[in-house]
Amino acid sequence: MTTPQASVLDDLPGDLMMWVLILSELAVFGAGLMGFLAVRLTDPPGFAEAQAHLHSTGAGINTLVLVTSGWLAALALEAARAGRRARLRALLAGAALLGGVFLFLKAQEYADLWAAGLTFESHAFYTFHMLLTGFHAAHVLAGILLLGLVGWLATPRAVEAGAAFWHMVDLVWVLLFPVVYLI
Amino acid sequence: MSVTRAWAWLIALTATSTAVAAIGLSGRWLALVVLALAWAKAELILNRYLHLAQAPNIARGFALGLALFMLALTSLAVAIP
Amino acid sequence: MKYQTQKIALAYFVVAMALFAVQVTMGLVLGWIYISPNFLSEILPFNVGRMLHTNSLIVWLLLGFFGAAYYLIPEEAEREIHSPKLAWLQLAIFVIGTAGVVVTYLFNLFDGNWLLGNEGREFIEQPRWVKVGIVVAALIFLYNISMTVLAGRKTAITNILLLGLWGLALLFLFAFVNPDNLALDKMYWWYIVHLWVEGTWELVMASILAFLMLKLTGVDREVVEKWLYVIAALALFSGILGTGHHYYWIGTPGYWQWIGSIFSSFEVAPFFAMMSFAFVMVWKGRRDHPNKAALLWSLGCATLAFFGAGVWGFLHTLHGVNYYSHGTQITAAHGHLAFYGAYVCLNLAIITYALPHLLGRDPYNQVLNMVSFWLMSGGVVFMTFTLTFAGTIQTHLQRVNGEGYMDVQDQLWLFYAMRFGSGVAVVLGAVLFIYAVLVPRREIIERGASQPAE
Repeated sequence: MTTPQASVLDDLPGDLMMWVLILSELAVFGAGLMGFLAVRLTDPPGFAEAQAHLHSTGAGINTLVLVTSGWLAALALEAARAGRRARLRALLAGAALLGGVFLFLKAQEYADLWAAGLTFESHAFYTFHMLLTGFHAAHVLAGILLLGLVGWLATPRAVEAGAAFWHMVDLVWVLLFPVVYLI
Repeated sequence: MSVTRAWAWLIALTATSTAVAAIGLSGRWLALVVLALAWAKAELILNRYLHLAQAPNIARGFALGLALFMLALTSLAVAIP
Repeated sequence: MKYQTQKIALAYFVVAMALFAVQVTMGLVLGWIYISPNFLSEILPFNVGRMLHTNSLIVWLLLGFFGAAYYLIPEEAEREIHSPKLAWLQLAIFVIGTAGVVVTYLFNLFDGNWLLGNEGREFIEQPRWVKVGIVVAALIFLYNISMTVLAGRKTAITNILLLGLWGLALLFLFAFVNPDNLALDKMYWWYIVHLWVEGTWELVMASILAFLMLKLTGVDREVVEKWLYVIAALALFSGILGTGHHYYWIGTPGYWQWIGSIFSSFEVAPFFAMMSFAFVMVWKGRRDHPNKAALLWSLGCATLAFFGAGVWGFLHTLHGVNYYSHGTQITAAHGHLAFYGAYVCLNLAIITYALPHLLGRDPYNQVLNMVSFWLMSGGVVFMTFTLTFAGTIQTHLQRVNGEGYMDVQDQLWLFYAMRFGSGVAVVLGAVLFIYAVLVPRREIIERGASQPAE
């Protein structure tokens, strides 16, 4: 009774607070995606028409970019644990660079929508599209900064936290991509 | 499974999603296929990139939550008239 | 009481309880005006009475927080408060400012004066000179406790408490931003109103609750701290963008409807976490603390906050629901139970815990204090139900059927009458509480001889 009981949380790979954040983010994006599909039921043709204006190929490429970037971040953690600083920094730089590529492709899509006069208010589809991908892009940007920070610190604990955030960004995108761009 | 192998799977699954969209699958069947593929990708990221495979109890909790979420998404996606 | 300067808390708590008495009395008057609308209409217009009810609530809760900080920070930081003189000065400014607001509004003095006149902005009605006083007092307070903490031991409890109190004070600066455009005015206004009660105050609440759990249950500090950080993270994650649920119908862009709906739905999470925290700590706790009343208030706080702030908040937070329900008695129901559960109970819990130490008596008169808990809580919960039913009917008649506001109000009379009854219970409970913590010196029921379990 008096001995501290082992908690299932002790098994968590990485920092508890990072997992609280990951879970919170997943809950928010999950609710957003469900809201999107629920509102789509009220106007399927309008949503299909609006979706046709997006860059679905660009978004598909972005999936490849992001999962590859996540792979580099995962390798960086292994390098950090092996004490190979130069390698982990190079890998994180690669991951961050691919994050930049992602944002570049994303920005082109926004620019084209903007040029076509399509904004937040044009249709419920765009409200959701811009909220969801906009929030996600903001996380990509934050992730790039975070990768820079943990690369500078270069401790296994820091790299683990930074990589975990980056994987969360990745995870959100693989769920968001089919819902918003494909179906 | 190493992270590199997980990455290869993720690439393959993404390519499959793009391919099924490209061959002209549409409507409910497209939704079913790409959401199933997304589900597999999400599990890979959770278990391999985020290393939940090391903590089976927690991984099961996440798997259950994800399954319910995918079920909700799929229902909403195929409910389209 | 280990540190002499903890005595400062006593004065804060006493002034807070005096204002608590004013607040609930004014509530009773307002409850009667709902039944008999011409009551006092010449000398105390409803809007002025309502201002006194809400402002005295806010001020006494703040004074309670300040008192709690002066009480727990010396114990946590393991040193005396940096400057007791400044603490007294701070209290004096608050008392003078509060009196100034009351006098200005009751007699409608200095109407239209830039510095002295009333400002008429809901909840931040204070004349400008009082607002300046509040800022000065808050700065004195922050300086005082920050210096104490910086010089002493830093714990998760003091970290989160300071974060909450600094945030609270800085956000109040938006009281000076008052654009001519009413939509913009409201937008900034919520930076105070919402980000206080659904942001920074939650941090204060979590840290005070954590302190109480630490003392009352004897659970390891390490465990308490882990919970505290998680609760604080959840509160900020959901609460900051949750502000969007006030931006549905005030002229802000439409995307706020989704941001507000989604994020504010998760505002239930920190309250659920706080409730789980309190109960898990009690289950795990090894200490049988004699101050049972403080424990009752703490658990009551976490539970009623979950229902009042969490469940009743979620009830009308989705924009599809809020489209019909906003500004009805549903809001009043939520407001009453949320404030009572989260912040009133919290203050009464720390007061119940601290006063025996501050007055140099053993935990005493538990029974009267606990009776006051059930009386007051029963009253507020009953009030919440009557207002919820009133609000449901109001929403249907007024917003769905389109009947006139006053026609609907007539039909709600029965609920207002029942609400007045529950208000009487609350006032009696409040008076009983104040009596129970301040006056009696002896236990009413002696403790049984303790025996080892089994």
